[in-house]
Amino acid sequence: MKQLKDIFVGDLRRFGMLFTLVALVAFFHVRTGGYVLTPANVMNLLNGNSYILVLAIGMVLVIIAGHIDLSVGSVAAFAGIVMALAIRDWGFPPWAGVLLCLAVGAAIGAWQGFWVAYAGIPGFVVTLAGMMLFRGANQLVGHSNTIPVPDAIQFLGGGYLPEVGPDTGYNNLTLALGLTAILWLVVGSLRARQAARRAGGEVRPLWMVAARLALLGGVVAYSTYLFATGRPGTSFPIPGLILFSLVILYSFVSGRTIVGRHVYAVGGNRQAAELSGVDTRGVTFLVMMNMSVLAATAGLMFVGRSTASGPFDGFNWELDAISAVFIGGAAVSGGVGTVIGSIIGGFVMAVLNNGLQLLGVGADMTQVIKGLVLLIAVAFDVLNKTQGRPSILGLLLRDRRGGGQAPAAASAASPAAPAGGPGKDGTDAAKRS
Amino acid sequence: MRGVATLLVVFGAAGALALAGCGGGRRSRAAARPGAEAQGFEKGATIGVALPQKTSENWVLAEKLFQEGLEEAGYRADVQFANGGVPEQQNQVQTMVIKGARVVVVGAIDGSQLGAQVKEAKASGATVIAYDRLLLNTRAVDYYLAYDNFKVGELQGRSLLEGLKKRKGQAPWNVELVAGSPDDSNSKVFFDGAMSVLRPGIDDGTLVVKSGQTSFSQASTQGWKSENAQKRMDTLLAGTYSKAELAGILAPNDTLARAVLTAARAAGKELPVVTGQDSEVESVKSILKGEQYSTINKDTANLVRHAIEMVNDLQQGRTPAVNDTRSYGNGAKIVPAYLLEPRIVTLENVRESYANDPVLKHVVIP
Repeated sequence: MKQLKDIFVGDLRRFGMLFTLVALVAFFHVRTGGYVLTPANVMNLLNGNSYILVLAIGMVLVIIAGHIDLSVGSVAAFAGIVMALAIRDWGFPPWAGVLLCLAVGAAIGAWQGFWVAYAGIPGFVVTLAGMMLFRGANQLVGHSNTIPVPDAIQFLGGGYLPEVGPDTGYNNLTLALGLTAILWLVVGSLRARQAARRAGGEVRPLWMVAARLALLGGVVAYSTYLFATGRPGTSFPIPGLILFSLVILYSFVSGRTIVGRHVYAVGGNRQAAELSGVDTRGVTFLVMMNMSVLAATAGLMFVGRSTASGPFDGFNWELDAISAVFIGGAAVSGGVGTVIGSIIGGFVMAVLNNGLQLLGVGADMTQVIKGLVLLIAVAFDVLNKTQGRPSILGLLLRDRRGGGQAPAAASAASPAAPAGGPGKDGTDAAKRS
Repeated sequence: MRGVATLLVVFGAAGALALAGCGGGRRSRAAARPGAEAQGFEKGATIGVALPQKTSENWVLAEKLFQEGLEEAGYRADVQFANGGVPEQQNQVQTMVIKGARVVVVGAIDGSQLGAQVKEAKASGATVIAYDRLLLNTRAVDYYLAYDNFKVGELQGRSLLEGLKKRKGQAPWNVELVAGSPDDSNSKVFFDGAMSVLRPGIDDGTLVVKSGQTSFSQASTQGWKSENAQKRMDTLLAGTYSKAELAGILAPNDTLARAVLTAARAAGKELPVVTGQDSEVESVKSILKGEQYSTINKDTANLVRHAIEMVNDLQQGRTPAVNDTRSYGNGAKIVPAYLLEPRIVTLENVRESYANDPVLKHVVIP
């Protein structure tokens, strides 16, 4: 019984929002009579939200570092229109347009990073200015017109993995992708187990690892099935591929590299970080610059999906990205948050949107519900982690006979989890409350 | 390492089972639904209606009329507003496809940014109707249904001339031109329509644009914002017309018409003859008071009724009627269009024009 709780309770703490997501999907799937988990709908979910999630990756790092970026929507729109014009009017081939788009993002990022990191102007102000500046620049450069982009760009924002190899009845590349993901899961957790054994830590029995993997692997396998069996011509979407590549890259960078750890250090306690020899300004500059590059990437994906770049692209995206990050468990005061968490937070919003649309709930009511979900999700998290109180989930799942042990079990389980951020367990409770 | 092997075997088996259990992949259901138009579709099918932001009375009325009209005709109506902008509208169109909509009526926020989504709708076998605003740069649009916007401009030009003759005595008359927002493709069409009537007068000297601002870009009003039109007119009245009289102003819609009237009033001028469009409540009141000279009645109920007729035709496998197969190129194809006639409204016919309008009848008949 204790072991069972180990699997679930320990992870509930970390994966609470993931379970919410699964529950939401299941709820809407049933309520809509089976519209949610169809190949076309899951592709839509990825296509229609990847660009916001790409923003969320950058935004969580900005928020961990203790800042905020309000300019992302405008930056995305500006980089998008420059690319569209470059390709249509200035004779750039599409690949050069893409590079230009990212370069514009980098340049804007360097500009904003300079003001935040070296001139010491609060990020809120710098990026509020950027929000107006680059919205205006978009409409100035594009004369408030909508500029179409060629197929190559449309592929990046709305294309699918091509058909290759023998006709298996499935999309082969998607199958390969799914198998790789499952293999990666299996090998990863086994290696973590071996590492734990070598280090003399607590080693979980194989059947527990297997049960966990069966759950996760099952999800991946089912998704793969959905993506591989859509209407001919559709498969795993390219924006999804871009998104997942970035998620893996940034999870690694934020969790396992020196630069990544420095971001947490700066956001957690700036003075302490500085005294420990961290280049706090350099880190802040890098985080702000990175955000704008990702904003340009998001703009590129959206322009591709929309087949054109328009004067109101990116409107209010910053708010979507920020809510994804907070639903995903980041703290307003900085130092806490994970890339994966933000992505899950973003998907919670996406599924909510999608499900409510499928149910035919109006845009007005959808806004009301999303607002409440944001508040409740964060409130639940904060109350749940308030120091000195047993976690709500722990109380709910407490074994009747062995009561009271749940909180202990919860914290005991976390060392086995992949690095989520320093102070993920203790300090974030303090920060949040 | 034995553990790895065991797990791989378990997963291989589970995966194979999952795929097998789910049945034969995509090819078996690849035979989508071909040629919806040829055979029509079942009564009671879902009809998707994607409308833009809920910003004007017209769109709110359209929502209600679509909902009621489609349900009365026996369809399942899915009417959605995209208050969150283009991305929300993209998702809504996709969602309609998922729900199996057989006709998708799209009032686009930006006609250039829905190409991928209507293509999906077409691929699923649905018919795509562009409602009020044309969908651009895509082959995946079957029909265009709207009021004739060039005609709107012509009517505005004609009513300006008529008003000048009635209220401002002998020619020549001093007039100024106001156009809509440059990012709205309709703005230029309104302006061109009006200029087709006014240009001869400007050329022969019966109409004098004293500011010299006669091109679309000079006359345009960013974002259709009344404050922008009002500021421009303030400047002109204080400068160009500090001594001269301004007899008439071509205004493309009611909001801008009221803005320029406010400017004239603030400058202490005799009110000029001002045109309009959209039949907004405040402007209808203004016409009744003899201030704004005219507006255009583009009866939303009529447009919605026609859209539902098109849906009925498609349901029974008939080709919907169109009356223009030449003028509406969208950059990828010429879209067959059905254009409704707009009507001019002045003090003379204001009461009968709105006698059946659910809102305006209370304004015109006290």
